[in-house]
Amino acid sequence: MITPRALLQKSAPLLACIGLLCAWQVASLLLNTESFPTALEAIRAVPSILGDKESLVNIGASIRRMAIGLSLAVVFAIPLGLLMGRIKGVASFFNPLLMVIYPVPKAALMPIIMLWLGVGDVSKTLVIFLGVSLPIIYHSFQGGKAVEEKMLWSGAAMGLSSAQRMFRIVLPAALPEILTGCRTGLVLALITMVTSEMIARQSGAGNILFNALDMAQYDTVFAMIMIIGALGIFLDAAFEKLRGSLVRWSKPQHDIPLSFS
Amino acid sequence: MKVVTLRSDALAESEPLSGKPASAMIHIDRVSQRFQTSGRQSHLALSDISLTIDDGAFVSILGPSGCGKSTLLYIVGGFVSPSDGVARVKGKAITGPGPDRGPVFQEFALFPWKNVLGNVMYGLRQQGVKHSEAEAKSRKLLEMVGLKGYENFYPKELSGGMKQRVAIARTLAYNPAVLLMDEPFGALDAHTRTRLQNDLLNIWERDRKTVLFVTHSVEEAVFLSDKVVVMTRSPGRIKVVVDIDLPRPRKRAELLLDARYQKYVVDIEKLIDDTGEDEIHA
Amino acid sequence: MSATVNKALLGITPIALFIALWQSLISFGYAPVTLLPPPGAVFLRLGQQLFTSDFLHEIAATLFRLFAGFAIAVVLGVVIGLAAAISPAINAVVKPVVRVLAPIPKVALYPALLLILGFDHASKITLVAADALFPILLSTYYGASMVEQKLIWSAMAAGTPRAQILFKVVLPAAMPSILTGCRIGLVISCIVVFLAEMITSTDGLGHMLVQAARTFQTVDMFVPLITISMLGLILNSLLHGLRTYLLRGFPEV
Repeated sequence: MITPRALLQKSAPLLACIGLLCAWQVASLLLNTESFPTALEAIRAVPSILGDKESLVNIGASIRRMAIGLSLAVVFAIPLGLLMGRIKGVASFFNPLLMVIYPVPKAALMPIIMLWLGVGDVSKTLVIFLGVSLPIIYHSFQGGKAVEEKMLWSGAAMGLSSAQRMFRIVLPAALPEILTGCRTGLVLALITMVTSEMIARQSGAGNILFNALDMAQYDTVFAMIMIIGALGIFLDAAFEKLRGSLVRWSKPQHDIPLSFS
Repeated sequence: MKVVTLRSDALAESEPLSGKPASAMIHIDRVSQRFQTSGRQSHLALSDISLTIDDGAFVSILGPSGCGKSTLLYIVGGFVSPSDGVARVKGKAITGPGPDRGPVFQEFALFPWKNVLGNVMYGLRQQGVKHSEAEAKSRKLLEMVGLKGYENFYPKELSGGMKQRVAIARTLAYNPAVLLMDEPFGALDAHTRTRLQNDLLNIWERDRKTVLFVTHSVEEAVFLSDKVVVMTRSPGRIKVVVDIDLPRPRKRAELLLDARYQKYVVDIEKLIDDTGEDEIHA
Repeated sequence: MSATVNKALLGITPIALFIALWQSLISFGYAPVTLLPPPGAVFLRLGQQLFTSDFLHEIAATLFRLFAGFAIAVVLGVVIGLAAAISPAINAVVKPVVRVLAPIPKVALYPALLLILGFDHASKITLVAADALFPILLSTYYGASMVEQKLIWSAMAAGTPRAQILFKVVLPAAMPSILTGCRIGLVISCIVVFLAEMITSTDGLGHMLVQAARTFQTVDMFVPLITISMLGLILNSLLHGLRTYLLRGFPEV
């Protein structure tokens, strides 16, 4: 039995979507310029993008690069972050370096990396990897640092070796924080993906966006924005589901991704 | 409800409103508190509580955890409004917090962004007292609670006992008629706790404010109070009100050896044990 | 004392190693100078340019957009976050809208902003504000909704009217969380303003990088990158100083 209140709560994001689309529709009708199509016009252009084979291949390639970059970052960043969290020397070794590269926009490395590695998948994947790694390192570091010392003592008393303690105590205890980092990383991967393609302008979702802009196909521009936005919302929601099942024992701290970089 | 009377009359069933004595400071009249839990279920935290507290009395509320004793204090503070019944202070129904009732919480609840002096001055400034006057008065109060020289410290730099001294000074500063103390010494170690009890008693014996004091320590309640209200759990009811007939000023060293003090402690502990059993059989 | 020195030395090591590796790649002939300029040349160029009016003009353009966008994000984020924390009605509207908007990659909106607001400052400032807004809004909201009830009660008992509780208690108590959000927002602002300038602009540090890339001036490509990294570090430490001052009473997190 679903109460009307619970139903309203469940459908709130959907209502918000509809509300935002309505606001868009009204705004574009009020402004009434050719370069700002209405929401309905943009929605009508969505099937033509998703129906086009070339666009689909492009978007698919974008998503594949994102998935590879993100996976590599997860494999590399979580152990590094946890080690930094548990071993003081490792932390003071890496922290200043990370602080220096933190405010560098990773997608801005695109032109330089393209010089070295060409315009292919490798450059774009590398940029995504670089962009995603930092938040995951940072959150794993915080998570590893916050692990209760007494829990490790108990583990040692039970005869766990230091490597075992890392896998069987530190990793699960830090998991909620690590997953917060991964969620930020996921959003950031999408951002880096789109940006690098906007800068490299050779293929992918970001390229479709700017090609349409150059050719004054304004409804396609807005339709593509909707597709990327929907992808962001979908990936985030899917990740939340996964996280919910992985760390059921931990209270979800925030129901919205908090940090983006 | 079983009413046990020790030496003196029980106050649990207080006299009707019209016959209320002129010296009543707080009058709690058939107050109940129901909390919504998940879904449509609700939990009865307080059931039909009536209690009168005289002006200048030191009254403790004792009971097992979860008996709603803090909730009762919050109702008098005006922080929580009761589901049923009325609480009055000086004959006026309580509708919200006010500077006539000053709280002191177990968690200290000091403003972390203000230093010690700023915390104590806050209430006075809020009452429209001039800055210089408020500062002079606050310094004097801090001296009284033994914190001279700590005016510019921030709460985070103080120990738990010192924090609670600041919190007491902050509340005394705006001179409330009633002090509402919610397990104020519950988070302190035994030694600090004893010292603060002694100091509180000294301060209180000077100006005899009305004090409503929630605690789960029987010794503390007997040592400090004129009356001890013993509550039962789920739902919270007043089981008995015990008059503590011990001479004042009280000296801890003498009292601990006093057979009357010891008997009060033992008797009340028995009463509380009974309430525990009640709860199991209920 | 010597512990801090040790820590600092340990921290400088990887940066020094990084630069040494960079230099050795060139010295040992693994990387041609045209692709990877030696670090000395890059820092020399940076030093030469730092006081030329052209370069300062580019920095000023970038900083103007950065601050304008960041300031808008701070004001909107704090106001909306506080409002959502204290009013259930506003919360019911803000929460789902934020839930939908937060995970959208804002940079994808940039073409739309260009179309609506034009190619000048406005579109870039809006993009910066849109990106920095959400972390500030969310941390304000969480900070304000987690203010300890008893702080509010203490203030009310001391005679604070309900209307003043927001400014006298909730805002200062939520300050640590708000400033954390601002720190994240500031880094994002640095990143986004640079990217926006790279995608379309006629001035600014990002534009310098793209200009240099078009003409394969590798040294000039590194200069704006290092500059934005330095700017980020300086702004971050300024904010950190402000934070240390404002939160002097709060326990360390």
